[in-house]
Amino acid sequence: MVTMEGVRRTLGPGVAFQCDAFHAAPGDRVALWGPSGCGKSTMLNLISGLLRPHGGQIRVDGVDITGLSGSRLDAFRGERYGFIFQTFNLLAPFTTLQNVVLGMRFADVVPEKEWKTRATAMLERVRLGHRLHSRPGTLSVGERQRVAIARALVNRPKLIVADEPTGSLDPKTAESVMALLLELCAEEGVTLLLVTHDRAIAERLPQMHDCTDLVKETVS
Amino acid sequence: MSLWHVAWNYLWNRKLTTAMTIISVALGVALISAVLTLREQTQKRFEEEGQAFDLVVGAKGNPLQLVLSTVYFLDAPTGNMSRADFEEIAKLEDVEAAFPLGMGDTFKGYRIIGTDRALMDFTWGDRRPYELEEGVYFGKAYEAVIGAAVAQDTGLRVGSSFISTHGFVDMPGAHAHEDKPYTVVGVMRRSGTPNDRAIFCSMESVWDAHDHGDAEAEEEHGHEHDGEGDHDHDHAHDHGGADAEITAGLVKLASPALRFEYKDRINKQYNVMAAVPVNEIQKLYEQLLGTAKAVLLAIGYLVVVISSMSILIGLYMAILQRRRDLAVMRALGATRGEIFGAVLIEAFWVTVLGIGVGWLLGAVVCYGLGMYLVAKLGFHVSAVALGPDIITAYSAVLLMGLVAGILPAWQAYRTDIARDLAEL
Repeated sequence: MVTMEGVRRTLGPGVAFQCDAFHAAPGDRVALWGPSGCGKSTMLNLISGLLRPHGGQIRVDGVDITGLSGSRLDAFRGERYGFIFQTFNLLAPFTTLQNVVLGMRFADVVPEKEWKTRATAMLERVRLGHRLHSRPGTLSVGERQRVAIARALVNRPKLIVADEPTGSLDPKTAESVMALLLELCAEEGVTLLLVTHDRAIAERLPQMHDCTDLVKETVS
Repeated sequence: MSLWHVAWNYLWNRKLTTAMTIISVALGVALISAVLTLREQTQKRFEEEGQAFDLVVGAKGNPLQLVLSTVYFLDAPTGNMSRADFEEIAKLEDVEAAFPLGMGDTFKGYRIIGTDRALMDFTWGDRRPYELEEGVYFGKAYEAVIGAAVAQDTGLRVGSSFISTHGFVDMPGAHAHEDKPYTVVGVMRRSGTPNDRAIFCSMESVWDAHDHGDAEAEEEHGHEHDGEGDHDHDHAHDHGGADAEITAGLVKLASPALRFEYKDRINKQYNVMAAVPVNEIQKLYEQLLGTAKAVLLAIGYLVVVISSMSILIGLYMAILQRRRDLAVMRALGATRGEIFGAVLIEAFWVTVLGIGVGWLLGAVVCYGLGMYLVAKLGFHVSAVALGPDIITAYSAVLLMGLVAGILPAWQAYRTDIARDLAEL
């Protein structure tokens, strides 16, 4: 599903990200674990196409994304990826339902007539059927992250990239959110790449990739 | 959910800022709208009224003053002309109709106009500007037909009497013809013309009121007056005989195409001045009011330019605060074009709403000023008219608003997703 080979990205003078090899098969649930600043988020951004590598190859679902043009990459990202962020990144002017619909509106992979029913069903799956018309500001942090999970999964993507999804949650909420995320990813058969610095969280996933040595000093 | 909806939600999310920006656009638009509407409407109404008669003839002087005093009852007349000259002009081959006018007195500021009874039957197109609401037309001396505004303002009705005063403004101490009261015999239907503000009577009434044999009047005529109150030579005199004088004459020709030919001919052959009403009004608008309009429009556009800057600054600041949202949208699959479009649509919404509110404000201003014009000129003007100049102005404002949106939209277009998601 995801392959990185010899991927390099300069991060600053004398500092570079370097990943010689990484592989995740379809349906894998992989924790990208490492301490802060180790390069795990950079790795996730490179896999997501949010950052372009300065060398090497990244293949996602059989497509070399390093060779895609900007607009093709936008479309590819919308079709194949679902994003979950540490700070949820829900759009404040929109209701929970609208936030999930926006995930479909921009990805443009689901017919418009299905948007509302599919978004409603997804929100019900994350047990937020009663908060369809609430604004993000009125939700608890746990509820916000569940909306973000619904938004990430609603397009039935091939790959979920989650950057510290429990980083802003208290342990109890983090536990329930993790359980929900893993359950849904398993049900959908979607590949999950989850960045975390928390070893306990990382160990909840079937696979773990140690990102400790991804950022290296370079000799100029 | 369309980009229009997305843009609208973001505007609604910062209601106060959006409302302030809309109001600033609206103020500029209202000014532009009011200036153009009033200019277009008053010129249209002036020209419409000016079309009723092809020529006016009167004493030599300022042709615009002659037109304003005889067609719109606004200025002091240029003086008197010989009735004999008028009657010769009335007999020229292409003159369809000619009506003498005699002025000199007023009642509570409303002009008393002596004329032939035949003027009351005058119509043009489907207009009947002298149609009666009640009563009959004047016949005998000191019988008067009053306009609708006169009746409303003074309370005069059929059967009422009133005393005229000398001069064209209602000023304390003006000579009153107390021994020669007028009787109202008819009230005209409101026509939305200067006739609403006029009192019509026979020429004989005017001549008789200014009978120089009248000792009191003789005394009054013996001194000079200033300004519009000056009546030393600007009213019809008691000369009902061969040397009779009138204030002016209204002339209807067989065709409007003959206006300038007859104007030149009368100016050459007679000791009077002929003027084409529409032509004089157009000159007035082009020369004098044109400058005023240009100044007011410049102010209006300046306000809109400043408003456009506030659109630009408002949106730019909003985009800076919304970098993460834009990055999230990009991560969800939004293209750069969609992000650019959504921001430009916000500028569109603000500008269009500003134009809408401005148009309403302008209409309110026009309505208020229209009320004033009705009272002052007798003209009804439409407060909500959308002439070509206004549509052009609104298009220019919309264009300015969109141009103001381009820089913030470009800023949004250049969103660096990874940086904005990581930094904020």
